Amino acid sequence: MNAQSSAAPLRPVAAKRRGWSARTRRNFVTGLLFISPWLIGFFLFILYPMLASLYTSFTEFHLKAPSEWVGLANYAEMFADKRFWVALYNTSFMVVIAVPLILFCSFICAVLLNLKLWGQSIYRVIFFLPSIVPIVASTMLWIWIFNTNNGLLNTFLGYFGLPGPNWLTDPTWSKPSLIILALWGMGSTIVIYLSGLQDVPLSLLEAAELDGASWWQRLWHVTIPMISPITLFNLVLGVIAMFQYFVQPFIFAEAQTSSGGSDRILGSPLDSTLFYSIYLYDKAFVRLKFGYASAMAWVLFVIILICTLLIMRWSEQWTHYEDAR
Amino acid sequence: MAEITVHSPSHAQQRVRTLKLRRTWTGLAGHLVIWALALFFITPVVWMFFTALKADQDVFRFPPTLWPYDNLQVMVNGQALPVYDVTIDDGQTQRLALLDVAEGHGDFVDPVRPTAEPVNLRMKFAEPVLTIDFQWHNFLNAMNRGVRPGLNVNFWTYSINSLILAVSVIVGTLLSCTPVAYGFSRIRWPGRDLVFILVLSTMMLPFQVTMIPIFLFFTETLKWGDTLLPIIVPSFFANAFDIFLLRQFFRTIPEELLDAARVDGASEFFIFLKIVLPLSKPILATITIFTFLWAWNLFLEPLLYLNNPEHFTLALGLQDYQSQHKVIWNQMMAASVVFTLPVIVAFFFAQRTFIEGIKLTGTKG
Repeated sequence: MNAQSSAAPLRPVAAKRRGWSARTRRNFVTGLLFISPWLIGFFLFILYPMLASLYTSFTEFHLKAPSEWVGLANYAEMFADKRFWVALYNTSFMVVIAVPLILFCSFICAVLLNLKLWGQSIYRVIFFLPSIVPIVASTMLWIWIFNTNNGLLNTFLGYFGLPGPNWLTDPTWSKPSLIILALWGMGSTIVIYLSGLQDVPLSLLEAAELDGASWWQRLWHVTIPMISPITLFNLVLGVIAMFQYFVQPFIFAEAQTSSGGSDRILGSPLDSTLFYSIYLYDKAFVRLKFGYASAMAWVLFVIILICTLLIMRWSEQWTHYEDAR
Repeated sequence: MAEITVHSPSHAQQRVRTLKLRRTWTGLAGHLVIWALALFFITPVVWMFFTALKADQDVFRFPPTLWPYDNLQVMVNGQALPVYDVTIDDGQTQRLALLDVAEGHGDFVDPVRPTAEPVNLRMKFAEPVLTIDFQWHNFLNAMNRGVRPGLNVNFWTYSINSLILAVSVIVGTLLSCTPVAYGFSRIRWPGRDLVFILVLSTMMLPFQVTMIPIFLFFTETLKWGDTLLPIIVPSFFANAFDIFLLRQFFRTIPEELLDAARVDGASEFFIFLKIVLPLSKPILATITIFTFLWAWNLFLEPLLYLNNPEHFTLALGLQDYQSQHKVIWNQMMAASVVFTLPVIVAFFFAQRTFIEGIKLTGTKG
């Protein structure tokens, strides 16, 4: 039966407007059937929750009573909330400082791993290994390494006569600690860069070398432009992920509070690790202010969209696509 | 002219020599830098393993040592006693076994003459004799430790829960994403590419936006709170990322192969099941591994839904060690090693699949 329909001549476009051919109609039904798991999931777990949270953001949520419409009150409360701005500042700090730093360091590591040196395959495994350690385990491990008195890091600094800071309990050092933790686990970004480096055409590099370009010049004028699409990809993904940064600071805060009281103080020390998603979690699931948290979520979504668009627009100046000659 | 012909070979030789020398130096410098960085990456992992193997009192030794040490012990009169180097009044040191301690004084006995009267000496003059000793039983202790009083819960429970979660999510992802990707790549239907853009755009959506309604739907409407179901069930409804990866792969299968089957009267479902899937083993392996990693790592969802420690996963259960008043670092590291080991074993068995998967997400995106 399939053979018959494929043999049938395609109808002219004019006829299409009135109705699809039998084959198109059947393909449409089959296609929808195949994608139905996603389609149902889209309505159930994306579209409906999106609309619901948008609605919730305009209401005051009560656990036992129906929620009441409050208009823009949640948004107004948010803009007047000091801790909201602290959370936004902390997250922006990580997006602006940590994400580019991670990209830069990953690129340097990838360049080093791409040198023709003996034992590279072992080095590559070593650089990658930390990134597959489960986040909770790696965060706990680093809390132990950051330990002020018995930690590995301060012991190491002590060998050079440097005074080790209170990595976890000093507000000036809590964010750098998280950045070190992120740098340690950047293996997959390194792998992406490395595969990009290996795709840079050798002919281009050799031509540059023949023209007398030094190693630095080749890196700056050939390699970096050639892998700029990968930089863009890593940048966009890194920014989106950093806006949702949650697990590491959550466990860090736990380490602050475990020795003292039983209550977990999110964002400690002194709100220096109060990131956007941490504060949102705190509002939603600790204080049960679902309306406020939904408003926060939507503001986050809009911020992410704007940032992504700005990066894409900005990237037109520095990304180089081979196909678009 | 003659000068040049005489000079140029030696000149060229010299050039080659300096070039070779420079290459050796840059190679050496490269090795040095990579070594330093490799130390940064590998030391914490090694530290985790060695901390896991340390004795309780060894963890807080200052300055910390890499190798796990424990007190050297000796059998005296059928009793295992720690050995000390004790400085006696005349400045000589003697190796003695410690029987008992009270008020800064210890009762020491000479292991060579166990029947002799114990000597009472100040502990200030006694240095413990250390020996490298791996506490392998830390792993068993960490796994068997009942973490909550009154509950029959330990790290075996958490491991089983994590495994159940990972396997279910892998099954759900494979079952749902493969037909969807087929529908987006090998069947031509009106509006397909438009809908696919919608699929891709859902990747931009932060979880926080949908988190609260989904949470209320599962816990209030379906009453699935404190079960793994709210985490498992959504995986049966496909996700954009894996659909994208599968679609990229399915597109590389030659159309003639499918058309030949269609001519023979095979249905799309048959072609999907009997032709496309068997050809897609590499990508299915990649997705299996990455889904496993994802599920094994999952923290926020279990944190939202699970209340009873009986249902905790490893990622959540590991926190038990933190909420104690005194963190038992060696056991916590042992539990972390147990948590990490499956991932590392998977990596060494399927290194290529790992790297290919990351490249796929990075370069084809």
